[in-house]
Amino acid sequence: MMKHHIAKDEPLWWALFSAGGICFAMLVPAAILVFGLLMPMGIIPASAFDYESLRGLGLGWPGLIFAGGVIALPAFHALHRIRHSCADLMLGKESVNKVWAYGLASLMSLMAVGVVLVNLF
Amino acid sequence: MQKPASYRPSMSRRWWLQHQHFVLYMLREATVVPLVFFAGCMIAGLWALNSGAEAWVSWQAFMANPLVILINLLTLAASLFHAATFFPLMPRVMPIRIGAKTLPVNAIVGGMWAVVAIIAIALVAYFIWRA
Repeated sequence: MMKHHIAKDEPLWWALFSAGGICFAMLVPAAILVFGLLMPMGIIPASAFDYESLRGLGLGWPGLIFAGGVIALPAFHALHRIRHSCADLMLGKESVNKVWAYGLASLMSLMAVGVVLVNLF
Repeated sequence: MQKPASYRPSMSRRWWLQHQHFVLYMLREATVVPLVFFAGCMIAGLWALNSGAEAWVSWQAFMANPLVILINLLTLAASLFHAATFFPLMPRVMPIRIGAKTLPVNAIVGGMWAVVAIIAIALVAYFIWRA
């Protein structure tokens, strides 16, 4: 009989990938529109992005939602896809790719959520 | 006991160039590359907010670099392409039933695009209101 290897951690990565996919489709376009295009192009006046008032917002509860929904979950979505693309292109070793891919996603999440949490509490 | 010699079919790294659908698949996989860049930009923004007014202004200057704007324009296109391939899958993987009726695929896909538009309009409107 063939022995099947069951990866117990896969449901977790897939759940993060899936949640991140929803965020990538629904929240990220709005964030890019405002912070990647309309703010830097000056279409929304600079006064809307005044440091003093935006600090409280960005490092407060709205910032926590932003860090989770626009940065952390999409990062897991992205790195999961990159991991599988490496397998598709036969690049590297799957066991090693997994470590750097989810390691980088974890680091990005920690940097985003962490800086908000430090200011919140 | 001797291990049986396993059969490994040889496969080229360029297999995905052989069919239009595979190319489209790889293109969708590639949409996450500019996403990683954008997520990095946003992390830098949060850290700039944490550092002080001066760091915030230099972060804004970085975001206004024409190359960065160009990459982020590409990221926006990538996120919409991802949405366009992802939304039609959702009602097929997870059909929504109300009583005995299944909601039509088009209604769910339309609803999801409406959510994308509402979130974008709300965020833009909020920042215009702040200005």
